[in-house]
Amino acid sequence: MKMETKLIHFSEGIELESGEKLNSFDLMVETYGELNEGKSNAILLCHAFSGNHHAAGSSEDFGIGWWDQLVGPSKTIDTNKYFVVCCNNLGGCAGSSGPSSIDPSSQKIFGKSFPQVSVLDWVNSQKMLMDKLNIECWHFVAGGSLGGMQALQWSISYPDNVKKAGIFAAASKSSSQNIAMNEVARESIRKDENFHNGNYYEHNVIPKNGIKTARMLGHITYLSEEHMDSRFGRKFQDEGSKVEESVSFEVENYLQYKGEQFSELFDANSYILMTKVMDSYDAGKDKPLVEALKNVKAEFLIVGFYSDWLYPPERGKEIQIAAMNNNIRSSFVVLQGDHGHDSFLFSSKTYSNLITNFIES
Amino acid sequence: MAIKLSKIINNWVPENSKVIDFGCGDGSLLKELFENKQVLGYGVEINDTKIEKCIEKGVPVIKLDIDKGLNDFMSSDFDLSIMARSIQCLKNPDLALNRMLELSKRCVVTLPNLGYWRCRINLASGKMPITPELPSSWYETENIHLCTIKDFENLCLKENISIKDKVFINRNGNQGSLSKINPNLFAVEGVYLLEK
Repeated sequence: MKMETKLIHFSEGIELESGEKLNSFDLMVETYGELNEGKSNAILLCHAFSGNHHAAGSSEDFGIGWWDQLVGPSKTIDTNKYFVVCCNNLGGCAGSSGPSSIDPSSQKIFGKSFPQVSVLDWVNSQKMLMDKLNIECWHFVAGGSLGGMQALQWSISYPDNVKKAGIFAAASKSSSQNIAMNEVARESIRKDENFHNGNYYEHNVIPKNGIKTARMLGHITYLSEEHMDSRFGRKFQDEGSKVEESVSFEVENYLQYKGEQFSELFDANSYILMTKVMDSYDAGKDKPLVEALKNVKAEFLIVGFYSDWLYPPERGKEIQIAAMNNNIRSSFVVLQGDHGHDSFLFSSKTYSNLITNFIES
Repeated sequence: MAIKLSKIINNWVPENSKVIDFGCGDGSLLKELFENKQVLGYGVEINDTKIEKCIEKGVPVIKLDIDKGLNDFMSSDFDLSIMARSIQCLKNPDLALNRMLELSKRCVVTLPNLGYWRCRINLASGKMPITPELPSSWYETENIHLCTIKDFENLCLKENISIKDKVFINRNGNQGSLSKINPNLFAVEGVYLLEK
């Protein structure tokens, strides 16, 4: 598979939804496969909350891509046929401009001064990337969770530049419960003594415990009760492989391990920023969703998972109903999914066939 | 050769209309209606393999149990709803009929006729009917509310549903003359256009 990773600089900057402006910015971009002559085979993948530009294949920095089960040669999204693009979103911490990168105007780390971005800003910056790559229309824009919100927003913001949108395990807006969970995560980071009001870089520390706790909570919300029960049950952790001495159950050890691993990779300010992007998104902008979808021309494939209690299938159905009321050619399928909210990341026969058939139809 | 359902109902489907097909199977009917009448059609189906086929054909589809689906999409403004060979599988066929006529101006319903003479012979010999149209044993069948042509038309009368048109299909899949004269005895299937 032809795979390229590059940092693309946008010297023209971007006006943000908040009214603030980034005078210039960088996006870390990865592409798979090749753009055909007619430029009709381009696919944009939008990553979820803690994802990045590395969607498929293997890289030294990021290991196996977050959607490697579905994206690659002869896979669900076939990189022999399609030119697949994925970028680390603005505000992230995997190479694109974000709180942990250097502010060109002050030559210091942005830290808390990095402006709050939004799903719309991400889509606008991805459109700038699209122009730079000389692509006129995405054959397919897809993502799960926060990535699905971007796919939805693409179809709203740029109706002429998207043919098909894949909206998986997503919602048109976060629920009160979603926001509440995120607030607990943010609070645990803010209350870490190493957070220093977001300026921890200056003190050469990271609020590791805060990020770890935040991730542990997040991780619970990504899995289902059934999945956790079948995977861990009430099994005890054997002494030899304990991450923390205090743990006794296997599930505790697992969360400790996942939290620990994540806390070393993810920037705390990015974590807070990303959760706020998720919380603030509302495709309908306080109005009924049906109005927001008026100009959409793309076809939709909306997939929800029964085991997902973070963005349950009900949320996908709301999008489907609004789509049908706008005469959008939209399909809505609920699959069992064994991994709760994270189910969108994993390949299964039906899920895979649906996506392939949708792209090829 | 048997006539296709799309051909029978062709004149009942307005050009460019918005159609919902409950129990749409692999989406063939909607695909044909799209090609012949440029309809915007949505299918409702519960079987994953059939749903994959719909998507493959480019037919928009919603995965739902019809019993539930009828309640879920109440607000939509369809010109026509279709329920082919499915109404006898529902928990409340009478409520389903009324719901369909709430969410669309007209509806097409097709149903197997338990009054067909071969079914009657089966029953007369003391057994539940097994015919090419009703091939499953009583304990395996999804058909929990079978009725005769007469029963169905009586239900329409009771519910103030008017039958705008109807076609009867004989055992060869055609509109034979016998099934026109005495559909309750000779038709294997009734195809109705209903309005309220």
